[in-house]
Amino acid sequence: MSSPEIVVAVSNLHKRFGALEVLKGVSLEAHTGEVVSIIGASGSGKSTLLRCIPLLEVPEEGEIRISGEEVALRTRGGRREAADAKQVNRLRSQLGFVFQSFNLWQHMTVLQNVVEVPVHVQRRPRAEAVAEAESLLEKVGLAEKLNAYPSHLSGGQQQRAAIARALAMRPQALLFDEPTSALDPELVGEVLRVMRSLAEEGRTMLIVTHEMAFAAEVSSHAVFLADGRIEEEGPPSQIFRDPQSERCRQFVQRHLDR
Amino acid sequence: MASSLELFGFGPQGWGHQLLLAGLMTLAVSASAFFFGIACGTLGAWGKSSHALLPRLAADVYTTVVRGVPDLLVIYLFYFGGSTAVSAIAHAFGAEGFWGLNGFLVGMLAVGLVSGAYETEVLRGAYLAIPRGEIEAAKAAGMGRWLMLHRIIAPRLLRFALPGMGNVWQQVLKESALVSVTGLVEIMRQTQIGAGSTRQPFAFYIVGFLLYLVLTTLSGFLLHAAERHSARSERRPA
Amino acid sequence: MIDTDFLAETLLKLLGGLPITLELSTISILAGVVLAVLLALLRQASRVGGLFVRAYVFVLRGTPLLLQIFLVYYGLGQFPLIRHSILWPFLREPWWCAILALTLNTAAYGSEIVRGGLAAVPTGAVEAARVAGMSRWTMYRRIILPLAFRQALPAYGNEWVIMVKSTSLASIVTLMEVTGQAYAIISETYRAMEVFLCAGAIYLTLTFLLTRAIGALEHRLTPYLRRPETTLGGLA
Repeated sequence: MSSPEIVVAVSNLHKRFGALEVLKGVSLEAHTGEVVSIIGASGSGKSTLLRCIPLLEVPEEGEIRISGEEVALRTRGGRREAADAKQVNRLRSQLGFVFQSFNLWQHMTVLQNVVEVPVHVQRRPRAEAVAEAESLLEKVGLAEKLNAYPSHLSGGQQQRAAIARALAMRPQALLFDEPTSALDPELVGEVLRVMRSLAEEGRTMLIVTHEMAFAAEVSSHAVFLADGRIEEEGPPSQIFRDPQSERCRQFVQRHLDR
Repeated sequence: MASSLELFGFGPQGWGHQLLLAGLMTLAVSASAFFFGIACGTLGAWGKSSHALLPRLAADVYTTVVRGVPDLLVIYLFYFGGSTAVSAIAHAFGAEGFWGLNGFLVGMLAVGLVSGAYETEVLRGAYLAIPRGEIEAAKAAGMGRWLMLHRIIAPRLLRFALPGMGNVWQQVLKESALVSVTGLVEIMRQTQIGAGSTRQPFAFYIVGFLLYLVLTTLSGFLLHAAERHSARSERRPA
Repeated sequence: MIDTDFLAETLLKLLGGLPITLELSTISILAGVVLAVLLALLRQASRVGGLFVRAYVFVLRGTPLLLQIFLVYYGLGQFPLIRHSILWPFLREPWWCAILALTLNTAAYGSEIVRGGLAAVPTGAVEAARVAGMSRWTMYRRIILPLAFRQALPAYGNEWVIMVKSTSLASIVTLMEVTGQAYAIISETYRAMEVFLCAGAIYLTLTFLLTRAIGALEHRLTPYLRRPETTLGGLA
């Protein structure tokens, strides 16, 4: 049974790439208003875990629930795939996903990028979508750049536009996949500032990140992943200041020092 | 209705001999046009990279006109224009009547001239692709112009130009079908003749397709092998 | 020396063939694009589809267009089945046969160009569309095809210029477009050079205008490839 306030829940996820098993049975929940940060070394499976939620990767085993609804999966020809493409698309449009490399649509202006999904997927009236997009872009500090093309923006600006695009879908939860890893160091701050304000609004967020100080500050729950398993999880006060496991302690120390 | 084996075989009723000869004719006229095209292309590339105005202008006009005008028109120009010129000369020597220009020659000149415009770009691109340092190294080693041209520039040029020249060759092969309008009996013309006299156009045109496919595929293989050979210095040793 | 009367008369006669040249070019280019996109998508869709498209491209690109036109115009009529089908009123007409052959031909070249365009669509753009819950159709319509089209436009422009020139082959199956008119005048007057100059001028004008139009379209569609313009208060 899933209680309604659980927005995202995955249980017992297994994911293999060829011979390499990246996730070895991971379970995770995010309640409404919770900010869950997922940390771990490169290759620990944290990005794969996040990408499994909107089914960008299909796990071989395990269950995914979004707002209590289970994503229907089936096995066909030895491969796991979505059983119902319509359902997947409907559930995907309830999540906002922010990529490491922004992935803005290059042939559209910033405003067009933000309006695209509300108008063409969610079928909301254009005028309403544009008004909302403008206020979202103002919120992320891009009011001046509505009609600019992504290629004319800095990395930090592009990532803020991508966050506005995710917000425009009115998502139940926001998923961030290392949102600052592709940015020049001096541009990281402006993106984290936007993310912090979203956390303060009480939005449900799952964040895969290497920014330990930021994660320690904003998250309500932290998960440390190692070798495709959850090595340790708990409140940030535990994970970042008083980790119980040796691996987590070493990892956090190494990253907080920097 | 004769069986297709009889129709396209080499027996007394078969068209095999004619079709084989036609295939050789296509090859011959294409090869002549191709080499004439390389000559035109070399001149064109030289003109385009010249510092003098006149050669540059001439080369630009040449490539622009040829690439903007249908090839069939160029063939008509050579066929009728050439024949008019030849007739005029023949009349001057006391001959009478109409003197046609040989279809083979028309094909070679017209298709060659057209392919030369594309060859110009291929050769120019290849020349620009040669690392300047290699030419400087040759100069520094005291090589003369001629020695440098045939020891360093030509081999490197060929390496970079080969893929483009391969495309031009395939184009020339297909273009040569247009020469059939002059009456030259190559594949296109021969299949037309066969189609007309047997009243089996479909079968003859399909055989035409097959003949061209054999030629383009075989030359594709050969070109690929040549490219591999000329790029051998860039591969890692096995 | 220059017979301006003859040139003017020739030019006028040749222009009489222009409408057919334009019809053949426009229709076969547009139909060719539609078919090329379908072929390129079919090639991605399944193994059997991929094999079929590859065979199609191999045959159409490995043989002369003139032969393809002849096969459609003279070859198909050999079969009673076709002569008695509802398609016969079309396949009997050289105009439709030329359109059909030109379309099939340019679609083969075009499908390879579109394939290149599709391959150049960034995976991130597709992933962002998928994760936003776009259906396959919306994703192709709004993201993938627009990006692929922009990528393919320069190469496709060359193909369109070649197509305009290729419509001249329709004259061999009796259509009196510009080259057909040119042939008629030359075989009447034997003044090949003058006729060539006039016809050449018409084709050069056409190809020049087409090239410029494609350039303008490219400029319009890819503002993101240029340095940003200083548009003060630009509109959405």
